[in-house]
Amino acid sequence: MPGITRYVVRKVVSRIIVFFIIVSVTFIIPRLMPGGAFAYLIENPNIAPELREALIKEFGLDKPLWVQYVTFLKEFFLKGNIGISFYYLKPVSEVIAQALPWTVTLVTTSVVLSALFGIILGALAAYRRGSKFEATLFNVFMFVRSMPSFWLGLVLLIIFGYYLGVAPLYGAYTYGVTYENLLEFIKDVLWHLWLPMITLVLLGTSVYFVLSRNSIVDVLTEDFVMVARAKGLSDREVLFRHALRPASLPVLTYLALDLGYSIGGALLVEVVFSLPGVGKLMYEAVYMTDYPLLLGIVVYVSALTLTLITIAEVLYALIDPRVKLL
Amino acid sequence: MRSDSLTRFLKSLGAAAKAIFILNNRGLAGLMLLSIPIAMALFPQLIAPYNPWETTGAPFEPPSWKHLLGTNDMGQDIFSELVYGARISLLVGFTAAAATVVLGTVIGLIAGYVGGIIDEILLTITDTMMLIPVLPFMILLASMLGQGYQNIVLVITIFSWPSVARLVRAQTLSLKQNIYIEAARAVGASGTWIMFRHILPQLLPLLIAFIVLRAGGAMIAEASLSFLGLGDPTQKSWGTMIYWARQSGAISSGAWWWITAPGLMITMSVLGFAQVGYAMEEYVNPRLRTR
Repeated sequence: MPGITRYVVRKVVSRIIVFFIIVSVTFIIPRLMPGGAFAYLIENPNIAPELREALIKEFGLDKPLWVQYVTFLKEFFLKGNIGISFYYLKPVSEVIAQALPWTVTLVTTSVVLSALFGIILGALAAYRRGSKFEATLFNVFMFVRSMPSFWLGLVLLIIFGYYLGVAPLYGAYTYGVTYENLLEFIKDVLWHLWLPMITLVLLGTSVYFVLSRNSIVDVLTEDFVMVARAKGLSDREVLFRHALRPASLPVLTYLALDLGYSIGGALLVEVVFSLPGVGKLMYEAVYMTDYPLLLGIVVYVSALTLTLITIAEVLYALIDPRVKLL
Repeated sequence: MRSDSLTRFLKSLGAAAKAIFILNNRGLAGLMLLSIPIAMALFPQLIAPYNPWETTGAPFEPPSWKHLLGTNDMGQDIFSELVYGARISLLVGFTAAAATVVLGTVIGLIAGYVGGIIDEILLTITDTMMLIPVLPFMILLASMLGQGYQNIVLVITIFSWPSVARLVRAQTLSLKQNIYIEAARAVGASGTWIMFRHILPQLLPLLIAFIVLRAGGAMIAEASLSFLGLGDPTQKSWGTMIYWARQSGAISSGAWWWITAPGLMITMSVLGFAQVGYAMEEYVNPRLRTR
């Protein structure tokens, strides 16, 4: 097998194992809680006795633990079924499926934009080391990096939404409006999403900027950069054609490791802007103590995180020529 | 003799403090940033003009000379809330960071020193935990354990130790190679003795820097959980303040002071901890100073 395929296969297999562990942990957690297996389910007054009986049967809650575990795994991996939401009284996977596209859009777009801005600004800062430009960027991003994500969202919301009136105060689209065509819908969504997006991109860029600046400062001291300069290449060519690619590798590695946190930040920002994504669902689940929904969110958000991490790692393999030699 | 070694210890401590907080610009900046929140946490009665649990004005008053940051929905003085909130916010952040470093250190020491199958198992757990989206897990556990700051500290600790464990494991692996460790083993010292009496003291300065570096992240985690209503609603912390501000419609009534103030205090403290932490790390590991 060529190096890249082997690398990718190994990564994918190890991520699947991690996911299996996570799913197993969500099986164990409710059974460790005081009250025993699914006391929450049994005691929930919202659930009709017939439904309760049906649930107990479906998940085999009256059977020995290992039978329950096998049923749980079968239900999840074959049907995607992970329980019934107490509040919505619908399968958890259905509830999450409606919210997931919003979160996926928000997370992927903001991560890609943040990495792009972070790397470019970091490159410019490294290139103009010691300048006022670098110092300003550095201080601003250090400050942004120290903010709680939801608080930055709230502050921007109150400035742009309340005082300037250039952004809506909540939601991802206008409620109760029928759209004439898809374009109208997209326009409305963009009008609602630009501020949350800016919040996330600001937060993300602040993380990748510092990393990328340091990484490029390191690369600029390498011999091949000196050779490129000696060849008579302009500074800009050296920076963008030779230094950027090796310097973006550590950024990509970090990006993969940091995705868990980025997604956490995105979930909180969804709560702030009342976007109909997984974050808002999570907030409601906490409020309603809807444990099956919370468990489902943990599993699905983990799946999303692991998928994105794997994509970042594949990208890494494509950029880094050394992977071919492994 | 004893008092002599004590003076020497105090002297070296003084030298360290000077190098970190006075000669290092970042350390000095961090100390200045932290001085306000720490003063608030230590002497709230001296700084706050009112008792933050008492109704001292009309509800939703805007900032004025009487109420510097206005009043909340219950007519309590927001500036006084801010001052009294410092203690819980800093304490939860610092305690969680310390607990995280202690747990991570024990696991990292065992993994690195014992090695073999135990190392494999611990390393797998560590790597798995580093890949998971931490926040949803924290929220799940916090909501199952119930409200209360001890639970928040516990939850933060459970999901933050892996990166500490990795670092300590790597350090332990290299320290283990030293000849005096072999000597200690040759005279019959137990593994526990070697880990905690020979390896741990070498790591101690770095671990202290780590606690300070982690405190900011732990504060943000606490604020995030409190913002979702998982904190103790009967107590005042900066995170809970933001939670109540949002719940009471601070956004839709344009009460920017109510939202901004607690978050700014969090940001200041996080930034302060980070700067002091970097300065400490530079003091402990001078190789970092080149950048």
